[in-house]
Formats: sequence, structure tokens, C-alpha cells
Amino acid sequence: MRILLDKFTKSFGSLTIIDEMDLEIHDGEMIALLGGSGCGKSTTLFSICGIHKVNGGRILFGDRDVTNVTSQERNVGVVFQSFALYPHMTVEQNIGFPLKLRKETKPEIKRKVDEIAAMVHIEELLQRRPGELSGGQQQRVALARALIRRPDVLLLDEPLANLDATLRLEMRSEIRRIQQETGITAVLVTHDQVEAMSMCDRIAIMDKGQIVQITEPRDMYDNPVSDFVAGFLGSPPIAFVKGRISGGKFVEPSTATKIPLGAKIAKANDGREVKIGIRPEYFQPGSGTMISGKISFIESQGRETLYNVTLPDGTILRSIQSRRSPSKIGDEVEWGINADQILVFDQDGVRI
Amino acid sequence: MLKPSSRPHWATKSLSADTKTPPEGEIEMGNSKHLGLWLLAPAGVFVFLFFLAPVILTGVFGFTNMSTATGITGGAYMISDTSMRPLRSRYGENELADRLTQKVYTIDDAGLKAALEAGGDAAAIAELGDKFLDQSFDRRRGVETAIKSLSARPSTTRGIKIISAQFERSVVNVRFDSKEDLLVAISDFGIALNEGQTEALGQVAYTGWTFTTQNFKTMIELPDTSKTLINTLFYVFTTLILFNTGFALVLSITTHYMPAGPAGFFRSIWLLPRVTPPVLYVLMWKWLAWDTGFLSVVLEPMGFAPRNWMLDSPANAWTFIILINGIVGASMGMLIFSSAIKAIPQSLFHASEVDGANRGQQVWHIILPQLRWPILFITIYQTLSLLTSFEYILLATDGGPGGATEVWALSTYLKALSNYGGALQYGYGAALSLVLVIIGISVSLIYLKLFDFKNLTAPPKIE
Ligand SMILES: Nc1ncnc2c1ncn2[C@@H]1O[C@H](COP(=O)(O)OP(=O)(O)O)[C@@H](O)[C@H]1O
Ligand SMILES: [Mg+2]
Repeated sequence: MRILLDKFTKSFGSLTIIDEMDLEIHDGEMIALLGGSGCGKSTTLFSICGIHKVNGGRILFGDRDVTNVTSQERNVGVVFQSFALYPHMTVEQNIGFPLKLRKETKPEIKRKVDEIAAMVHIEELLQRRPGELSGGQQQRVALARALIRRPDVLLLDEPLANLDATLRLEMRSEIRRIQQETGITAVLVTHDQVEAMSMCDRIAIMDKGQIVQITEPRDMYDNPVSDFVAGFLGSPPIAFVKGRISGGKFVEPSTATKIPLGAKIAKANDGREVKIGIRPEYFQPGSGTMISGKISFIESQGRETLYNVTLPDGTILRSIQSRRSPSKIGDEVEWGINADQILVFDQDGVRI
Repeated sequence: MLKPSSRPHWATKSLSADTKTPPEGEIEMGNSKHLGLWLLAPAGVFVFLFFLAPVILTGVFGFTNMSTATGITGGAYMISDTSMRPLRSRYGENELADRLTQKVYTIDDAGLKAALEAGGDAAAIAELGDKFLDQSFDRRRGVETAIKSLSARPSTTRGIKIISAQFERSVVNVRFDSKEDLLVAISDFGIALNEGQTEALGQVAYTGWTFTTQNFKTMIELPDTSKTLINTLFYVFTTLILFNTGFALVLSITTHYMPAGPAGFFRSIWLLPRVTPPVLYVLMWKWLAWDTGFLSVVLEPMGFAPRNWMLDSPANAWTFIILINGIVGASMGMLIFSSAIKAIPQSLFHASEVDGANRGQQVWHIILPQLRWPILFITIYQTLSLLTSFEYILLATDGGPGGATEVWALSTYLKALSNYGGALQYGYGAALSLVLVIIGISVSLIYLKLFDFKNLTAPPKIE
């Protein structure tokens, strides 16, 4: 079901957390609300499910205005960060709870619980209590409970934050599989860009209560609207270098390196102070526009190795390389920047 | 810590030299593992003095017939109306009892001497001794007839009576320190006892306390006991269910759903009776209820005659007793339940809301299951405290009207420690409290069973 936030505003006391946010979530789509801690992601999610009353604007489920509808009547499924399973109920009772509240018959509940349990692969756990489950199992139970009512929308608040690294990988694909199998509209709240990029159809990236950009993961990675978005996506992160556009090229002041820019950008911004963003995969030995600096940090990430190269004025460039080069910390190196892939931002961080 | 007793007092001279290098054993005292025990010692003394000793003594006293009459130390042997009653009823020795309580008048040297000292006519006394020595009379009149028959008889009736008064002999109301002394006195008195009678007399004449199970028999026989028991159960469970857990739950749940400010205010109000001194608190209820009090004044225009509303009828008395206790008692449950509800993760409330639970369903499916422990705790604690505490009843109705609100603990107190007649039955009181202790323990065990204690104390479900 399509979900629409129309000039949605939320404040706590005199503190406005979300100011006139517009967001449309398409039917059957899984969207990520991505942003740093405290930017208002959970607040948005809690407003969609009705736990928070909104202070302005409208929330629509399909064509139904649910702005003033209580959460009990909204038909949403929520997976909370802490899973929020009822400790005194068995897994079966936990999953069946929403149906029990709707006074469905026992056999009916049993049938639906079995069905959903099979889907999330927890058939053999139904008689246990939450305390007797691992984190991943609790997660599956929470998902099953959220899905059993066939909600209009599935809301997930940092669902993977409480899991260890391997489980996180497993549940990432599990959640996506279940979402695609059911075709449910879903909102994933996360601060982890990898989660957002790998699980969702689109990402809405938030900063200080505002949606900064909303688009598909690959597009957001390649075409960020601002240095904030460029910096948020990508690991290891993009490096920024300040300089000036002069004669169709970007000039790095401390090494006087000149990097060619696209004709359109160069012409329109000649003489302007800008900063460019260079992703680690586009700063490599052997090709591109050479720039020299000193290796200040080396980190082996297993298959790949990360190098920090410090320019004379202290600016740091990052390079991620799949083959380990013989360089050591302190070595002077001259590696190349792929000029086609650099991102140019004005001094306020807006993409040019 | 230096232990003074370990140093002989003659060693004081060397004390100053000693303190610089105390013997090793004494240093150890100060910083060794024993320190904890030393620190606990005062608490141990208190526990013993004010808890263990009374409990043990109550257990022992319950099996005695101690009372003001017997005293709590040893007793003496005495023939008296009190001791003759069981001799008749228990041993059927009516004749013996009659004879023991009889007075006998015997002309003996001691009597003659006493008559002289009392100022009797010397010549008459001498003649009486000559003629009647060692003769006995059943009545004083017999002695007086004898005196009148003397040639040197006193001229006035008063003169005769002064003499005759000195020959009365009786074993009644004389305290003997041992059974042997009593038996000697009885045989001197002229009564021969067979073996059974000696045994029986030893039993009944003893005025001190003895060990007995009579208290428990009495308890079962007295109709008061079952009345008091029913009163107690009614009082405890009505107050407990309506107020100490029931109303406390209502208060904590309603305040949970209120905004923080009003909730805090509301809770403080319900704490006020708790922090009011009990005597003043009950006094206010009495003012409310008595015949010139608030209730009477307000109800009079509506056609209700002024009266003491609290003591007017048993039903009224119970209503007041339960309100007085319940309003104080609810506050503790309220505090415990409120903090337990606060400890429930907020996300569980959110989750249940999203799952479609309205408030009632939230209370039933989320709050109450999580409150099982606190409810069990409060139920046990308050049952025991209601069973044993009677101060509000004592202050408000003193068990009245006519014993209608007399509960077990109050009855024990009245029997053992505070009685208008002044005849305190320590032994019976102790036996009553022993039964109360047993009731308390049994009720607690039943609760533990009902609440499925084993399950409750199982390892936490969510870490
Ligand atoms: N119930 C609340 N009362 C007051 N402030 C709140 C409340 N919930 C969240 N906030 C504030 O709103 C901001 C956004 O919170 P939240 O939506 O939880 O952030 P996140 O993006 O990390 O999920 C934070 O500054 C937080 O302190
Ligand atoms: Mg959050």
C-alpha cells in the first residue's frame, strides 16, 4: 500500500524534530530511512505507526487519511530495535497475539501462526519463550508477529543493530526475501549505509529531521546531491580536497596538481573555490592524474587494503587496493586520480 | 582491635610499651576475616533479644498455664477455694476438700500464749489450759461454751471473745514453700491422706505455673475462638483484596496512564495516611464518626439521628476498620506496583499498541503478567502484617461493639497483656500467638503454591 507523508511535522514540547517532511513510499517498495543517530528516523517511524501523535501535516495509507487514527486501528506491523517480544508468552502466543486481540478463533490463529512460522523458519521454536531464543531467532519471531496480520506497511526500527556481524548478514537477506515474498510495503530505519544500500529499493537519507535526498542506492552513491550524502555513503568514505577551478581544471594548491574537469562544470564555475570528492576506488596507482603524498596509514581489510595518503597541506586522500603494494607508512607515493569519477561541490557542500 | 580481657590487669604497667608492638594475634583481630563477624555482633544481639528469644519464649509459654495468679517464677503450695475446685471436679474428692477447708478450734499452748498476749484474763486462761488442753471443737461457739463453764470466766462477752479468737486453726490460705511442709501441716491438722489424695493435693495446691496442653483444649472448646478466627479471616482477606492489592493495583495502573505530573501528585496524596501518626489518623476517623462528628452533623438534616456511626453496628464497625486499614495499606502496594510497571520496557507497550491492544487488554496481557512477583510479595507481606497488627482496631473500636471486631492478634493482646480485670493469661496468650504464627506460615505456603513460586524464581526470561 502506498504511504504518503504530507508536510508531516513532529515536535516534543518546544523542540521541533521533524519540520514539514514530505515522503512518498510506493506500494510494495522497501525504503530505507538512513541517517545519523538522533536525526529523527525513529520519530518518523513511530509517527507512521501511530505511537506518536503528529503535530502537523497528514499521513495517508493508500487514500485513507490516518493522521488521527490510533495505532491500534492503523494495521501496521512493527519490528522494534529491541524486538519487544512479550517475555511471559511463548513464541506461538507472541506471534498470535495480534490475532488473539482481534478475537480470531483458536484454530484460525494456529493455522496462520504455523504458516508465518514456516515462512520465517521458526517452526520448531513455537513452544519456547523469548528468553530461550538467540538474537537471530528473536528477530524472526518479531518479524512473524509484525507480519501475521498482513499489515498495510511493515516498519523496521534498526532491526539488525542488536545482532552480531554474521547474523546481521544472514538477517539482511532474510528480511529482504520475506519482504519480496509478501510484497509488503516496508520502511527500514537504519544508520548503517551498507544495510540501506543492500536491502532497499530506495534510500531516503535524513539529516536533522529533513530528507536530503531520496533515490535508488546506486544512483545515490554515484550522484549524491551534497557532500553530506557523498560522505554518508561508501566505506571507506569519500575524501574531500579543497581547491580552485582555473582554466578548465581543478587545481590542488599544495601540490599544484591539475585535474581536468568536465567542460560544462569547468566553464560555468571558472575561478570558483570548490571542493572535490574522490572515492577510494578512484585513487589508484598507475593511471589517472598523478598526485603525490606520503602514506600515513595502512589498514588491511582482508581482501583489500586501505591506504591514507597525506598531501603536504594535511589533506587526506584514501585509496582502496585489491593487491597489496610493497609501500610502507612514511613512503612518498605518486598515485592517480580517475578524473571522470570525481564529484564537485561548492563551498556550502552543494553538488555542482 | 585490642581485646582488653585477654590482657591480665596486672600488665597495665607495660601497656604503653606493648601498644607499639602488639602481639601478633591481636593485630589479626583488626584486619582479619573476623572483622565482619564483629561488626555483625550487635545486630546478632538485637536479633536474639527482640526476635529469637521472644519467639522461643512464646513457644514455651504457650504450653504453660502462666497467668497473673501463678506468676512467672516458681510458686508455693496452698489450700484455697481455687485449688479445692479442681480437687472436687477433677478428682472427686469432695469430702477431703470439705475437711481441708474446715476451721478447727484446738486448745493448745500456742493459743493460750497468744490469748495472754492479746490481753485475755490471765486466771481464765490458766484454768482453760488446765481443764481443756488438747481438746478440739468444730466451732468457735464450742470454745466459748468451754470458757463460760470456767469458774474464773471473764465477766464480759468481749473478754470471752478475745480469748476464743486465739484457737482457730486452719490450713486454708497458708503458703507452704514445699509439698512436704504442706503435708506435715495437714497431718498436724488431723487429716490422714492416702497415696492418691497426696498426689492429687500436690497437683491442685501448687500455685505456680506448670506445663500443660490445656490452653489448646480451651481454645478449641471456647466458642469465642471460632468467632475470632472468622473475624480475622474476614478482616485480613477483605482488606487485602479490596485495598492492599486491589486498590493498590488500580492506583498504580491508573497513574501509569496519567501524565507524569498529576500521577506523582496523585500518588503522594495516597501516601499521606501512611505518614500520618496512627493515633492521630484514627482520631480523625473517630471525629468523623462519633455522635457529634462530621457524619452525624451532615446526616442529621436527612433524618438520620446522630449516633456513633463507627460503633453503631458490627457492619458499620467493620466498614470503618477496613477503610482505616485499607487506605493506609494501599500505599505500599501502590509504590511497589508503580515501580514494577515503570520497569516494564516502554517498547512492550508500544508493541502491544501496534498489535491492536486497547488499554484494558494492555493491562490484562502485558502489565498484570509482569506484576506476578510484586503481587505475590505484597499479598504475603500484607497478609502477615494484617494478621499480626491490630493497632488500628485497638485504637478505633477496641474490638467492639461487643467483640464484633475482635481479631486474633487483638484477642491475644487483650488476654495476655491488657485486661481490665488485671488477670492476665500469659500462657493462653502465648498459645494464641503460636496459632497465629502457624496460620501465617501456612497461608504464605499456600500463596507460594498458588503463584507457582518455582516458575517465578526461574532464571530471567530475557537477559
Ligand atoms: N519522547 C521524546 N521526548 C523528547 N524528545 C525526544 C523523544 N523521542 C525522541 N526525541 C528526540 O528527538 C530526536 C530524534 O530522535 P530519534 O527519532 O529517536 O532519532 P533516531 O534517528 O536516532 O532514531 C532526538 O534528538 C531525541 O532526543
Ligand atoms: Mg532510533
